[in-house]
Amino acid sequence: MIHDSIIRDRLVTGDKTASDVTRDIARPILNNPMIAWKVGFTLSLIFLGIFGVSLLYTLWTGIGVWNINKSVMWGWDITNFVFWVGIGHAGTLISAVLLLFRQKWRMSINRSAEAMTIFAVICAAMFPVFHMGRVWVGYWALPLPNAFGSLWVNFNSPLLWDVFAISTYFSVSLLFWYIGLIPDIATIRDKVKSKLGKTMYGFFSMGWTGSTRTWARYELISLILAGLSTPLVLSVHTIVSTDFATSVVPGWHTTIFPPYFVAGAIFSGFGMVATLLVVARKVMNYENYITIGHLDAMTKIIMVTGTIVGIAYLTEFFIAWYSGNVYEQYAFTNRMFGPYWWAYWSMMTCNLIAPQVFWFRWARTTPWFIFIMSIVVNVGMWFERFVIIVTSLHRDYLPSSWVMYSGSLTEIGLFLGTFGIFFTCFFLFAKFLPVINMAEVKSILRNRE
Amino acid sequence: MGHGHHIEVKQEQFVFSPKAKRFSMILMVLGLIFAGLGIANLGGHEETHTAKTEVAAHEGAQHGEGHAVAAHEEHGNVETEAFGPRMEFHPLDKPANTRIWANLMIAGYFFLMISLVALMWYAIQYIANAGWSVGIKRIPEAIMTFIPVPFVVLIVALLMGKNDIYHWAHYEHLGLKPGDAGYDAILAGKSGFLNSTMLFVFPSVLVVIWYLLMRKLRSLSAAEDNATRGDVSFFRTSVKFSAAFAVIFGFTISVIAWLLIMSVDAHWYSTIFGFYNFVTHWVTMITIMAFFVAFIKKEGYLGFVTNEHMHDLGKFMFAFTVFWAYLWLSQYLLIWYAQIPEEMAYYQIRFENYKFNFLLNFAMCFCIPFLGLLMRSAKRNRYVLGIIGSIMILGHYHDVWLMVFPGVFGSGMQFGFLELGNFLLFAGVFTYWVFTALTKRGLVAVNHPYLDESAHHDVGV
Repeated sequence: MIHDSIIRDRLVTGDKTASDVTRDIARPILNNPMIAWKVGFTLSLIFLGIFGVSLLYTLWTGIGVWNINKSVMWGWDITNFVFWVGIGHAGTLISAVLLLFRQKWRMSINRSAEAMTIFAVICAAMFPVFHMGRVWVGYWALPLPNAFGSLWVNFNSPLLWDVFAISTYFSVSLLFWYIGLIPDIATIRDKVKSKLGKTMYGFFSMGWTGSTRTWARYELISLILAGLSTPLVLSVHTIVSTDFATSVVPGWHTTIFPPYFVAGAIFSGFGMVATLLVVARKVMNYENYITIGHLDAMTKIIMVTGTIVGIAYLTEFFIAWYSGNVYEQYAFTNRMFGPYWWAYWSMMTCNLIAPQVFWFRWARTTPWFIFIMSIVVNVGMWFERFVIIVTSLHRDYLPSSWVMYSGSLTEIGLFLGTFGIFFTCFFLFAKFLPVINMAEVKSILRNRE
Repeated sequence: MGHGHHIEVKQEQFVFSPKAKRFSMILMVLGLIFAGLGIANLGGHEETHTAKTEVAAHEGAQHGEGHAVAAHEEHGNVETEAFGPRMEFHPLDKPANTRIWANLMIAGYFFLMISLVALMWYAIQYIANAGWSVGIKRIPEAIMTFIPVPFVVLIVALLMGKNDIYHWAHYEHLGLKPGDAGYDAILAGKSGFLNSTMLFVFPSVLVVIWYLLMRKLRSLSAAEDNATRGDVSFFRTSVKFSAAFAVIFGFTISVIAWLLIMSVDAHWYSTIFGFYNFVTHWVTMITIMAFFVAFIKKEGYLGFVTNEHMHDLGKFMFAFTVFWAYLWLSQYLLIWYAQIPEEMAYYQIRFENYKFNFLLNFAMCFCIPFLGLLMRSAKRNRYVLGIIGSIMILGHYHDVWLMVFPGVFGSGMQFGFLELGNFLLFAGVFTYWVFTALTKRGLVAVNHPYLDESAHHDVGV
């Protein structure tokens, strides 16, 4: 018996039955790819090529092909790193935090959001890894016993905490995603025709039988992983924020950074989820699974987190004045009215002001508008990291160190290229794995009996 | 998750039982006894200091010689001076009754925040379409009516003790000009925000706005009870007003925390301070709410509110305990790591001269509740929740005390009889008030569209 309220929206519309769910969601996997998929995948491969070329040029010639310098030692690279890590936050938030909060609307979107998380973290990792320069000795970042004398990692450094935080986050997210996939992979295994498909899906379904015992274990492990991942959602961007906040750089060292970065990460993560799903639900014909109600809920989260981020901007600005610290005060006036004023105001417009349109029901329920807004959010969040990094660095304590910085063609190429990595992975995912968690969605159908 | 059987929910009328009355009275009487003991002990300070020497000593210590550590400082650790200037105060510099005003100010602030976050909780349940909590919604609805009482206490405490509680108010009172001995450019720079007009006007205006929104939400809830079943218009209007409150509150609560509490250490600043203050009261309010639910259930009301609901409240207590520790650590770690003198001053005095309280604070607000509530069985056990919850409530009150007292008095104070008595007295008044508010309307929101979900502990899918 279901005790729902008269005002609760249906999570799955169209009076779907369990077999409809399997048919709808397995369709792209069992059929030949659609035209839209082919076009999108080709475009992604082109961008992946841009990444490859930019990376080869960087590796062959050296980090000098980037425009970073002694004052602005972090530029587009770390901006992009924080940008992508931030995007990687929605997936685990949706799968873990919303699971603990018993928010069943997560079931239609958790799979793709988790996949997005994993791909975004891969994109993010590119930047610090290749910023190392001599990337072939990258393993020195790990505390491995070695014979190099005093070479040992610096446990006091937030950059090392990043190595641990992000690799832990990546591992747990991957595990969470994969375990959630097992029942669905088993469904595909039972439907796919080709021998190769049977072998591959058979291997990855790990002998799933669908017995009561396996389901009980599946639910138990989901809950345990959710409990473990919830602090991880907070920890990753907290550690990223300490990369900046533990320093004594004006505009970086401020105690609000940890929660404010986490809120920003969820904001940008949901922005990216909205970008992908608004398109996917249309192209793949999933409007009954990812309903207007889902978009409504996501846009509300975007508005709330955007406003929290906005409160943090205003707090930083006010406390800079309040502190009476001239360096802090200068850092913020320089952000607003200095040479990078356009970046600051783009950030303010996109992150604080623009999401306020979601107060209107029309804005929350109109897919094309949400798509545009989701892009605006991501642009805003990229600018936020650019503002934090570049405006604080380009005015060093000594005026002789004052410089301007703009990304070189290679840096831009690398950034655009990561979209190639991201979308290539995403298109492959959308072709070979079910984009929506079939097993879980079946548990929230009305047409169960 | 739905149960197989249907549960019929009927209206219930809460009666303020003699037992509940006795409980509030015991708290108040204990509070008066302890506070009396504390006040009796205050006398000693007054004999040794007159108001005049106090002003002179204060100026000397504060504005002469760049905040030099005063010679008669008992714990004057020379090595700590390496961290730079510190805000030195001495309990003996202040009139004895400052401690009373500071205590009233803390209690006023604490219970004002508890009432406000109860309203915030109430608003969030509406905005988030939360179903499970509808069965217990009368409790935050009663807690939030307490807003005016602590506010009046706060204003009285500030009127009486402002110049002794706030270094900046004392400084404002001196009226120094640039070039004068003891002129403090930092405080002068803040005078646009830290001034007596702001101190009274800003919180007053906001409390009036919040209070009116509270009344509006309460009247919508009462109107819904009398409406016809299935009429969701009151629910929808409540969502709108809840959203309005949440936004206003979100943008302003940090400012209140800066103005009233952070400014006690007038030179110090921390951007996370407002969030931190919010969460310390938020987790306390959830604990208080759980206490009320457990109590009125024990008295035989709200039969449909089961152990599942208590478990949910326990989870919230646990989750926000961790979140509190997260914000605590964010502030502490970043200040410790960067070691900037003007930021260190805040923790230095707390760690040097209040080490016991500093560690006790972390133990009471994090270690004990974290370990105590970790297990599922603990969250479902009333007695465990009662013991751990009491430690949490007192711990978070002590947290606010630790934010204020070292800044007002410098070293040498302790959370003593007066503090404990003052807290118990307020807790007694608070419980009495909330129980009375609970009698004002039926205990069950009978026409709330999510009541059925709550009664079956279902999420409506």
